[in-house]
Amino acid sequence: MTVVQRRIALGLVVTLIGALFAWFFVLPRFRPHIFAGAVIQSTQKAPRLELQASDGTTVRMTDFEGKVVVVYFGYTFCPDVCPATLSKLASAVEILGEEAEDVQVMMVSVDPARDTPELLAEYVTHFHPDFLGITGDEATVNRIATLYGVFYQKSDGTEASGYTIDHTSTVILVDREGYLKLVLPFEGTAEQIAADIDYFIG
Amino acid sequence: MSRKVIIRSVVPVALIIVAALAFAIFEPIQVLPRIRLAPGYLLTDQAAATLTSEDVRGDIVLYNFGYSGCGDDCAAMNQTMVDIQGRLDEADVGDTDVRFVTISFDTATDKPPVLQEYAATLDADPKQWSFASGEPDHIANVVKAGFEAYYEERDDGSFTFDPVFVLVDGWGVIRGEYRYQTNASDTDKILHHLDILGEEIRNANGAATLAYEAAHFFLCYP
Repeated sequence: MTVVQRRIALGLVVTLIGALFAWFFVLPRFRPHIFAGAVIQSTQKAPRLELQASDGTTVRMTDFEGKVVVVYFGYTFCPDVCPATLSKLASAVEILGEEAEDVQVMMVSVDPARDTPELLAEYVTHFHPDFLGITGDEATVNRIATLYGVFYQKSDGTEASGYTIDHTSTVILVDREGYLKLVLPFEGTAEQIAADIDYFIG
Repeated sequence: MSRKVIIRSVVPVALIIVAALAFAIFEPIQVLPRIRLAPGYLLTDQAAATLTSEDVRGDIVLYNFGYSGCGDDCAAMNQTMVDIQGRLDEADVGDTDVRFVTISFDTATDKPPVLQEYAATLDADPKQWSFASGEPDHIANVVKAGFEAYYEERDDGSFTFDPVFVLVDGWGVIRGEYRYQTNASDTDKILHHLDILGEEIRNANGAATLAYEAAHFFLCYP
């Protein structure tokens, strides 16, 4: 191989390495993020949320300013949708790794009659130790759910399971400044949820 | 640094800036703002059936708020809804269903049979246009806090209220609010906005999503 040929080969190798580096490490930083959920550009902060945690303390949305808050409305007796969603959220948190320190996932119970704060805490921490379960009286939960775009209604279940509750299964993201920014569908994967949360972590 | 290197690094940046400016100025794509989340609700319609926010998920919904005993105060607002229902084929929304929901805040009077009669006086197509009401506290929460539509009962049982239309997309996100105008011009505006929303639903897929996101970013609103 002549000196010229060697230089051309070296040039090609360097170009290839450069292109691969740009493709995997540089371009993703400039590529706009495509959300799995629906983005909201509200100039209003997320609706007021004031409910009880298992230790009796009052949890407010404002307590988490500086963190990305992921809100889900469900209940502990939920047979399918809630465990599936919470499992996906737990996987999303795992994907985020250390960045998850800036994220708070919480489930608001739409079944305050059966979901005591203690039961709720036990249920959500089964999916992830940092998840928070919150509840309140029926009227307060109904008011908050409505403002977060969530409907729920008691439905006949089986004799063994008792009643079930039909409810909206979307996941809501509130950004670090307390603005409601994203509605994720139930169909979203853990990877998509993690990517959307990551975008708002910044 | 040579002149050639400067030109090579400056030109792409300049092109990007020019393209962004051109997008912002000429607005090749128009979109409706994604204002805020519409409230979730559980109501009873004119057929005494349950109507929930989940029943209309995936559909474009035009809401208004009134009551059956409203009379002349609602005439213009109702006429706008009737006109939009009649001229809906002027808006190209593709395969997406468009629905109309009139929420009554006279929860004591507007039970299903009354709403049924009210709907009949407006020639409302029951497959497309629902009239619904519910528990007083829930209605207050949905209409006042959720849709931000003011109403108050007077001493004589009538209501004072803001005639407002609210356009909500299939995600349950409010995309248009039309306040303080109950004249016919609202019909044209809302039909135009339905057309824009339909176009976004049809086209904002794959790579085109980025163009629509850019339109939102540059506030390319009609």
